[in-house]
Amino acid sequence: MPFDQIIWFVKLEVLVFLGGLAAIIAHRLLTGQINTNYLLWGTKEDGTKYFSPERVQLLVFTLGTAMFYLNSVMQNRTSGVLPDVSTETLALLGGSHAVYLGGKAYMMLFKRNGKGE
Amino acid sequence: MLLLLLLQASQSTPQWTERWVGTLAAWVALGFLGLIGVAILYNVFTGRIDLSGLISEPTGDASMSRFQLLVFTFVIAASLFLIIASAAPPAFPKDIPSGILVLLGISSSSYLVSKGIQQSSPEGLSGRGPQVTIKTDRSETTFGGPSVQCQAEVLGLSDTTVTWAIDPIDFGEIDDNGKYTPPKSGQPTTVTVTATSKQDVGVSDKETIKVS
Repeated sequence: MPFDQIIWFVKLEVLVFLGGLAAIIAHRLLTGQINTNYLLWGTKEDGTKYFSPERVQLLVFTLGTAMFYLNSVMQNRTSGVLPDVSTETLALLGGSHAVYLGGKAYMMLFKRNGKGE
Repeated sequence: MLLLLLLQASQSTPQWTERWVGTLAAWVALGFLGLIGVAILYNVFTGRIDLSGLISEPTGDASMSRFQLLVFTFVIAASLFLIIASAAPPAFPKDIPSGILVLLGISSSSYLVSKGIQQSSPEGLSGRGPQVTIKTDRSETTFGGPSVQCQAEVLGLSDTTVTWAIDPIDFGEIDDNGKYTPPKSGQPTTVTVTATSKQDVGVSDKETIKVS
């Protein structure tokens, strides 16, 4: 059947593209070729930098949610439907983003360096 | 050759022609998309498409809002591919769960709000430029008492070394490593320590130390 070959080729194409792109990006993130300087640091209104716990928690929640969802997809991959994300997970992720954005807004718009310059 | 095949197809039964043309169109579309994919991957791999600033802000610092958007985009794309490819026969899901849409909405809107916050702050859009910041292990000392260790953090310059100076100039000593030693005696005074970049003398920072 020619359509079997087409289907096989589509799978191969998407797999090579997504897999290749993900592999290149992951490799460059790990080797520093994609800039990750100050990923977990914030900037105050006056331009000074500070270590940012709100970014750390967002990183943890992002990676946790991503792995949790991928695991769910792997377990239900033959079902033909994308697994849903629970309301609790969405609430946690939303809260994490709210903390990150709140912290960023406060430090960037209102907080100055305490040196009185 | 292709024309001959098309001619042959047109003279055959309509059902056969329809299937043959459909298959040909599918292969042409796949070949085209495949070439685009290979071209993108090749240019990314060779550096012609520069990914070094993929998650960076205009200031050059990496951004968590960009990073989380990248992660969720890849996760949902990979999940969709797995679901489609694993079904027999492969099929696009009949509907996308609302939870997925909300998740992508949270991720994207967080990125957008983050950009909005940066737009509201001049530091978010322009580079900070080079800067020196002094940190000290104490802000006060006594005559003949413990020395004060000063450290200079230099940002935005390739040469991170600084020269140290104090004012009043003869009120104690400061060495090349930023270690300030107070005098044995004198009137209580506030000493100003200055660190100046060796690469750019216009970039400096000041810190005060009380000596009593």
